[in-house]
Amino acid sequence: MISNAISLMIAIPLLGAAVSFFAGSKAKFVALIASLIPLALSLQMYMEFDKTSKMMQFVESYNWVPSIGVKYTVGVDGIGFPLVLLSTIVSILVIIYSWGETKKPNQYFALLLLNEVGVLGVFTSLDFFLFYIYWEIVLIPMFFLIGSWGGPRRDYAAIKFFIYTHVASLVMLLAIFALYFTYQMPDGSRTFDMLTLLKATADKNIFPTSLLNIIFAGLLLGFLVKMPAFPFHTWLPDAHVEAPTAGSVVLAALLLKMGGYGLFRIILPILPHVDKAFVTIIAIIAVLSIIYGAFLALAQKDIKKLVAYSSVSHMGFVTLGAVAFTTMSIQGAMFQQFSHGIITCVLFMSAGTIQHVVGTRVIADLGGLADRMPKFAVIMMAGFMASLGLPGMSGFVAEFMVLTGSFATLPTYTMIVVFLSIVTTAAYHLWAMQKAMFGPILKKYMNVHDPHAYELFSMSMIIVLTLIFGLQPGLITGMMGTAATQVMQPVMTLSQMGVI
Amino acid sequence: MDFSHYAPLWGEALLTVLAVLIVLLGSLMKNSGKLMGYLSAAGLIAALGLVGSNLMIAKPTLFFFDTISVDALSQFFKVVFLVVSLLVVIASLSKYTGKGADEYFALLLFATVGMMVVASSIDLITLFVGFELASLSTYALAAFDKSRKNLEAAMKYFIFGSVSSAFMLFGFSLLYGMAGSTKLTVIASATIANFGPAALIALLFVIAGFAFKMALVPFHMWAPDTYEGAPPLVSAMLAAGSKKMGFAAAFRVLLVALMALRMEWYLAFAILAAITMTLGNLAACWQNNVRRILAYSSIAQAGYIAIGFVVVGKAYGLAPTTAFNGIPISPAQLGLAGALLLILGHALMKTGAFIGTAQVASMVSKNDANDPDDISNYAGLVSRAPVTALCMLIFMFALAGIPPTAGYFGKFVLFSSAIYSGLVWLAVLAILNSALSLVYYLRIISYMFLKEPAGPKMAEPKGYVVALVLTTIAVLYIGLFPQAFFDWAVQAAAVLLPQ
Repeated sequence: MISNAISLMIAIPLLGAAVSFFAGSKAKFVALIASLIPLALSLQMYMEFDKTSKMMQFVESYNWVPSIGVKYTVGVDGIGFPLVLLSTIVSILVIIYSWGETKKPNQYFALLLLNEVGVLGVFTSLDFFLFYIYWEIVLIPMFFLIGSWGGPRRDYAAIKFFIYTHVASLVMLLAIFALYFTYQMPDGSRTFDMLTLLKATADKNIFPTSLLNIIFAGLLLGFLVKMPAFPFHTWLPDAHVEAPTAGSVVLAALLLKMGGYGLFRIILPILPHVDKAFVTIIAIIAVLSIIYGAFLALAQKDIKKLVAYSSVSHMGFVTLGAVAFTTMSIQGAMFQQFSHGIITCVLFMSAGTIQHVVGTRVIADLGGLADRMPKFAVIMMAGFMASLGLPGMSGFVAEFMVLTGSFATLPTYTMIVVFLSIVTTAAYHLWAMQKAMFGPILKKYMNVHDPHAYELFSMSMIIVLTLIFGLQPGLITGMMGTAATQVMQPVMTLSQMGVI
Repeated sequence: MDFSHYAPLWGEALLTVLAVLIVLLGSLMKNSGKLMGYLSAAGLIAALGLVGSNLMIAKPTLFFFDTISVDALSQFFKVVFLVVSLLVVIASLSKYTGKGADEYFALLLFATVGMMVVASSIDLITLFVGFELASLSTYALAAFDKSRKNLEAAMKYFIFGSVSSAFMLFGFSLLYGMAGSTKLTVIASATIANFGPAALIALLFVIAGFAFKMALVPFHMWAPDTYEGAPPLVSAMLAAGSKKMGFAAAFRVLLVALMALRMEWYLAFAILAAITMTLGNLAACWQNNVRRILAYSSIAQAGYIAIGFVVVGKAYGLAPTTAFNGIPISPAQLGLAGALLLILGHALMKTGAFIGTAQVASMVSKNDANDPDDISNYAGLVSRAPVTALCMLIFMFALAGIPPTAGYFGKFVLFSSAIYSGLVWLAVLAILNSALSLVYYLRIISYMFLKEPAGPKMAEPKGYVVALVLTTIAVLYIGLFPQAFFDWAVQAAAVLLPQ
């Protein structure tokens, strides 16, 4: 057992980012090593992870700013750990996919590593102060990735992304302050400890419903914007369209998951204690995100924008499963986070590869590419099938669990989703695929060819993972089962767990 | 005679003697600019050491017939002023080396001494004298490079400054008339609230006088012109040092002498803070001159700091419901501590940012855009002057309140104190403003990092680089390890707001 595994996992990419920045053209090797070690660490942790335990595991806790009750506390359980695993897997694959980056590679790889630091921090922090710092740090590398390597309107997209999500974070911060100043520890002091504060929200004497409603709304806004859920999704298409491929992949695969993680870690423990109207509101938002996202995807001309809206739609399943509040729906929603995280990588990588091999992403201008890019076409096809929910792949398992689980508590909403989204989702995936890749090849594309081996490698690795987790979902859901039951019960603090 | 009793004031004494000495030596020795710079830097470091050795004073020590108090609050401000001054001197080593440099450094030292006197004053007369010493020295400094722009900036600054001094003095004279004393504690116990309108008029004039120095809207008009037109390093001194002196004076006078009128000044500051941060941020979005952007950002930050007054006024007397690390801290104390932390953070960030503009202006003036501070000169700065650009990046994020920086922690404590005392609307407004400010900070960042370079790589003068790197380290250090600074600020706040 490695001590301080989590801190080490966060420190190494941070160090790697600093080294890459000064490593010039060798930055990619630094980045590879600096992302390989966290991957190895997370796999090691996976071996040691106790799937049946309700405890926080790999906990580290040190005093940081004792005067205001801030501690450096990190730890993972079945909610956080799958996402840690996702982050380390996606980070290294993105770095491999970007192997051929020639524009300021030192900064590029440093930013990708910094991004890994931020997301790993978010998924492991158990102190609101620390959590908020990582939550904000994530914005910085993404701002530069979009702004420096992005498309023609990159300045606008980068600034919009930063400000939009920052406003939501600030609202969340106010809610955190309110939690902090309302709850008092037995000895009169205050704490930013996440589990302690969440546990306290169950106490009506400390948090009257009227106050808790406001706090809840603030936190919820912070997470829904990040997810992003309708109607707060408008920053996403701009960011995705302008972002470079690696930026889009990281954005969709990891940054959006921060919002979902917030739902499970912070929103669900409070949900039973607030006004019941919130359940309806969140369910409506979820259903609208799923359906509206799917219809918008259907209407897109740009394949990358199509994928971006499909993210909105797929993340809606996370919200729906969470708010349905049954063991199975929550477990499914958590798995959807993981599953969408890997599948979306293939989709964005495909869009990126088409862009730089063919020179356009407009679906109507493409046609018959499969003829010249057979290997790529197979992988892309597999990715699109996974995304539309083909049985045997992880996306199917996740969405099936969400829908089955949600039917028990939210039957109407679930039926609306079933009727309106499944066909639409299949339609836009198949239509885009058919139009772009199949049919007779256009003359101007006679010279295109399969992309570099490193790009195909990253993408095929993900397809393999999608298949593995589609056939053996228990590898991941095994961790989530305990977590899902745990989410529905009162929060246990670290001291109750006996970990510190 | 035994002077050992005066040990806590040796810092001021040292700097005064040094300043006089520099003037004398400068008139005797030719081309001694560099030497004077190093002497000033050494003197400031020594003074920092002297002030630092008396940092944690449990009980205020009074001097000169109870007009000067050395306490945790005065030491806090003195450290801020000395650090700002030291950073400006270090940066100036690259710029002021020739003729007249002795006067420049002497004026800087006199200004610093003036600010230190204000930080310690518990008497209106001493306070006014310190205020004027600092102001007169900075009026001269603002015109130091003698360009047309300098002269305009200095003239505006001088006229506005004089008028504000007059306001302040008039307010002081009314206070003296009502209380029969210029001592803050005597005025506090004189129940001047009973004088009705006269007390309000006095309050109005005092607040107006201070608000000029703090550059709160609507008393801010001089600030953008002066910060833009003065020599850039002097702008750093004005925004980071002399502005904070306004806060030091206002804290002492309002929180000690005029606490009885707190319901009145609470309201005044609530309005001033709300307008100042909103207008400052809005105006900054439309500027193309980086120093003007920084000037408006500095106005906005003054608005944030003014939240401290609002929290204190609103929450004064409320019992602490919170123990921080075992020590109960009342909402008012937390508000003042937050304001102090933001003052410390802002002083560092703004000094750094202005030194950065000075650096850019010194490098680009030959073949770039006419106005050396034009934002187009910052295009691609990261490849032209990487150290400057990286440091500026940290300052911009810190000013915007992105963690983990000094700017973030200051705002964190200050805004949370607003929640603690129930001023939710103000916290919401401040936080929205904080987000709005990102528009122009990100604009500068996107020029520096995302645009194509506006010219070839430039050599970065060493003095500036040292000052920039030191400031950056300080800004990050406070953000990452805020524990000691928080405790210090709380102790300083407790001087004016004992439990």
